[in-house]
Order: sequence, then structure tokens, then C-alpha cells
Amino acid sequence: MFGDGVVYTLLFISLYFEVFLLVTFLEKRSRRKFSHAIKNAGAALPRVCIVVPCFNEEKTLALSMHSILSLRYPRELLETIIVDDGSTDRTLEIAEEFVRACPVVGAQRHTIRVFHKENGGKHTALNLALQNTNAEIIGCLDADSTVGEDALMRVVSVFENPDISAVTPGVHVRKPKSALQHIQNAEYTLSVFNRFMFAALGSVFITPGAFSIYRAKTIRELGGWRHGHSTEDMELALRMQKNGHKIANAPAAAVYTATPKTIVALFHQRVRWTYGFLRNLVDYKFMFGNRAYGNLGLFILPTALISIGTGIYFFIRVLWYGLENLLDMFARIEVTGVVPFPSFELFYFNTSALLIISLIAIALILVLISAGSWLGTGRRMPPSGTPLFILLYGFLVPLWISAAVFRAMFKTGVRWR
Amino acid sequence: MNSPIIGDRSAQWKNYFIALVITAAIFATAFYASNYFNNRRIAEIRVTQDNISIDILSLETQFELLAEHSCKDISENSVLSKEIRPLADRLSYLETQSNVDGSELLRLKRYYSLLQIKDLLLMKKVAQKCKLKSVFILYFYSNKGDCKGCENQGYVLTALSEKYPQLRIYSFDYNLDLSALQTLLSISEVENKLPALSINDKIYYGFKGIEDIEKILPQLATLDKTATSTAKAKSAL
Repeated sequence: MFGDGVVYTLLFISLYFEVFLLVTFLEKRSRRKFSHAIKNAGAALPRVCIVVPCFNEEKTLALSMHSILSLRYPRELLETIIVDDGSTDRTLEIAEEFVRACPVVGAQRHTIRVFHKENGGKHTALNLALQNTNAEIIGCLDADSTVGEDALMRVVSVFENPDISAVTPGVHVRKPKSALQHIQNAEYTLSVFNRFMFAALGSVFITPGAFSIYRAKTIRELGGWRHGHSTEDMELALRMQKNGHKIANAPAAAVYTATPKTIVALFHQRVRWTYGFLRNLVDYKFMFGNRAYGNLGLFILPTALISIGTGIYFFIRVLWYGLENLLDMFARIEVTGVVPFPSFELFYFNTSALLIISLIAIALILVLISAGSWLGTGRRMPPSGTPLFILLYGFLVPLWISAAVFRAMFKTGVRWR
Repeated sequence: MNSPIIGDRSAQWKNYFIALVITAAIFATAFYASNYFNNRRIAEIRVTQDNISIDILSLETQFELLAEHSCKDISENSVLSKEIRPLADRLSYLETQSNVDGSELLRLKRYYSLLQIKDLLLMKKVAQKCKLKSVFILYFYSNKGDCKGCENQGYVLTALSEKYPQLRIYSFDYNLDLSALQTLLSISEVENKLPALSINDKIYYGFKGIEDIEKILPQLATLDKTATSTAKAKSAL
């Protein structure tokens, strides 16, 4: 009975979260029409610096650089700084090749600079670039990501609003191949929607490393990037929220990131993210339930924390009952010698409230993924990995959540890679 | 979409309220729907039980009319064997469902037990007068969590009834508040040491596997053959 109470309470919170986002989305949509057109036209464009922090990125750096060189943005206003954070492979060599062979577009040569330093972490690489640029806008592109041609114009147009201090893009999986990558693709599409809505609620708490763009002045005022428990993008976003800076989202500014191909690699990546999330939440715990931080403090952060507990609880419950049923079946086979077959009679069709609510929650997730797809790409169809995402993701998440909770509790730290 | 929405972070109480109403409505609808389907199931069982009740009454009347003259027209499997097993399974299934009207389910269970007792008495009478080789197994269980072997015993009896379709198995909840059942328990002298089986009026306590029961009832082999030959005869027709 107590277990049922917990299940229904957690389901209610999860469903409420989905419904709230959808209601807010529909409300925003009714107020203003969204379009794919790039707004900025007449306004003077700012000088932009894209930082590519690298640590042993010899395999992916060239791809990222080519995408930066293909950006539709005036060459004289675009600067790229590659920071080699103590790589032990050919990263520095490749970076310097780009400086030498820097293409000339029109009358302008693309400005690329390379810095080499001892390994100190991504935040130190970004801070080094911040110290060495006079651009008004600074952004980061992880060396495992590529950026769409129009992405920068779409992001920069948002900075016409002087109140905005940062803009996050729409992050997509780059060329998903394996089933695991297709699952992540659906997950990222859902994140496109969530990030868009969090911005609408003034509650963005992560500015992803893949092409989040900032006003350089704001970052300097805030003291630059910090280690942030290996999640400097989350720490900075929370610090910006603390200081009342606004973070917007441009979902159609497409960034494509390489995602883990194996469960083990995915596990390590997500343990790091979740660990960083939990430790940063501890650092910024004063935001919880604090009306001064509005939706972020009252709803988004508490729900994000509850979702971690929900993931673990449902996983244990499903595992427990699954094992119980399995043992029951084996016991039955042992005493009768007959393998029991499930009945397909209509009478035995499961019509429990729990199943009905779960199906509605799944249907809503489908709607949110479709909305994410529409926001990010203009297509309403959810990605092909969506069924697998719905079927399997719930079983994958608790693996890294449990590990991250354990590590956060004992402050063991996590490896970047 | 290139609409870089940036909103005020002040709490949007109107949307919170609307979402709360919608979520509550979804929950209420889900519970209502689940309840509706369970009531449909209960109604279905009630109809089946009423049909069985009519069948028993009909057979009793038929038996009284023909008993002294002919046994040909009274089929050995005429009533419960066809419908009682699914009914028991359905009642067991409903017992596992969370939002089923408990008092209604208990009423159905009592009715079901009563029908079984009536069928047992009638079939014993039919077997005696018509000299049929019927085998009766009475199974007493408890689902209060105090009977370790009951679940497995239930599986064994289900498998046994599938193996020997002519075997008549009657299952009774030892703790059911039904005077007819309490009388049956006291007549059969069944103690509260469950699971308990009453096979041809002899009581066996503790879990009994398929082989154990086959040893107790060597005539099962004959029943099996009869069933097979009947099936063959039917397929030949």
C-alpha cells in the first residue's frame, strides 16, 4: 500500500512536469508565432570569438574547425581560438596547420589563433581564451562537435536584446549509427524542447559546452569559468542565474555532437554529468524553494532532483517485481513441469490505473519529443530512435544515476575522460 | 525554430494551476477507467455464475426426473468442468488487482464456493447412482500469507486438471466466511494445516506434487485413457 502511494506520487509529479511544460509551450505559442527565419539583418553584428578547447582531439578537431570555417558570418568579425590543454597526441600540430592554411574568404582571412598550455581542465582553457580576446561575444565549441552554417547568425541575432547574457543552441546527435546513438538522438531531441522551455521560464541551468555563446563582458564580471565539479557549463549557468543574468535559447541554431558509441562510454559521460549536477546543486542549494529564483528555484531544480530519485525508485521496483515474477515462473515450471503461457483473453488485459497513467505519460513524452523535433529541425516526426528510447532509456538512466549519487555522497570525484 | 524565447523567471502561477487541474483530471480519468473495466469484469463473472447456477438447477431437476430410469442423458462433464476453471482463474486475477471493490469480490467468491459445493454434492450423487468412475479432489488453501505451499499447490492442481480433463477439482479458501463451507470443513475434518487435499474423502496435508497425487490416485491413468479415447472418438466424428 505504501509502495503504491509512492509510485502514484512520483508518477503524479512526473506527469505534472510534462503537462506544465506543454501548457506553457502552448501558451507561448499562442502569443507569438515561431518562424525559421533569421531575424538579424540591419543591426551591426558584434565581434565573435569561438573557443575550441582541446585535450587529445586529433581525430575530431579538423571536423569541428571545418564547420567553424563554414559559418555564415563576416570573416573580419569572427575569430577562432584553439586552446590545446596539454594534449599528448597530434592536436597541437593539427591546430597549427589550420593557422598556416587558413582560408581566405572574399577579401578577408579567417582569424585563427592557437594557444598551448599545460593540462588544467576545460575551464582553464576557456579562461585563457577569454583573457586573450577583445570580442564582445564569446562562445565555446567542443572539439567533438560541429556547427550548422547558420547557427552563429541565429545565436547572435538573439543578442540584439541587451538583457540577454547567454544563448544556448539546439544540440543534436551527429550522424547517429548504432542503436545506442539513436536512443541518445531521441533524448537530445527531447532536450531541445526542455531547454527551449526552461529558457521560456527563465530557468536554464545548463549552458552546454557545444556552442553556448555568452557576452564576454558578463563572463569577465562573473570571474570567468570555474571547475564546477567537471561540469563548468552547469556551474556557470547557475552562477549567471544567481546574479540575475538572462539565458535564452535558439533551438534552430543547430549543433551536432559526437555521442558515446558504447554503454561503458555513455555510462562514464553520464556519471560525470549527474555527479556535477548533484554537486553543483549542493553548492547552489540556497536556490531550492527560493521564490527569488522564480520557476528555477520553485519548480525546475526541485523536479530535476526528484527525477533522479524517481529513476532509481522505479528501476528498483521494476527489477524487484520482474525478478519476483521470474522466480515465480521458475517455481511453477519446477513443480508442474509445464511452461506457463500468458493468456490473451480480453478479460486479462491489464487496465490498471497505473498502466493507463504510464501510457498517458509515454504519449506526452512522444508529444514533447515531436515538439523538440519541430523546434530544432522544423520536422514534426520524432527521431527513429524514439521507440527504443521509450523502451530502454528508463533502464539505462538508473545505472549512472546510482553511481553518480554514490560518488556525490562520498565526494569521490569523476574523470573527465 | 528561430524564436529565442527568453521569459521572465517569476513563477507562472496560472500555468501551475492549469497543469495541476489537467494532471488531476488525467489521474481521475485513469482511475475511473480502471474502475469501469473492473466493474465490467465483475459483471461478466456474475453472469457466468448465474449461468452456472441455472445449469446446476437444471441438472438437479434432470437428475430427479431421470435418476431411477436412465443415466445416459446425464453427462459426466455437463456443468462445472467447462466453466469453473476459468472462473476460478478470473477470480484469482481480480484478487490481484488493486482497485477492485473488495466486498463485491468477496460476494462473488462466496457465491463461487457455494456453487462448487452444490456441484460436488450433485456430482457425487450422479456418480453413485450412475456408477461413474469420477474422482473428486477438494483443495483447501489460504491466501492470507500463512500458507507457503499454497501457490505451488495451486499450480500443480491447474496442471493436473489440464492433464486429466475429467478430474473434478474444487478449491476452497479455508478462511472464507461461508457457513456451507464451514460445514464442509467440519464434516471433512480438515484442520488448519494448509495446503490440504481431500482425495476420495481422505485428507492429505502439505504440498503434494503431480507424481504424489498420481500415486494416491492410480485410477487417474484410466481417466486419462478415457479422455483420450473420447477425444479420438470426437475427432473421428
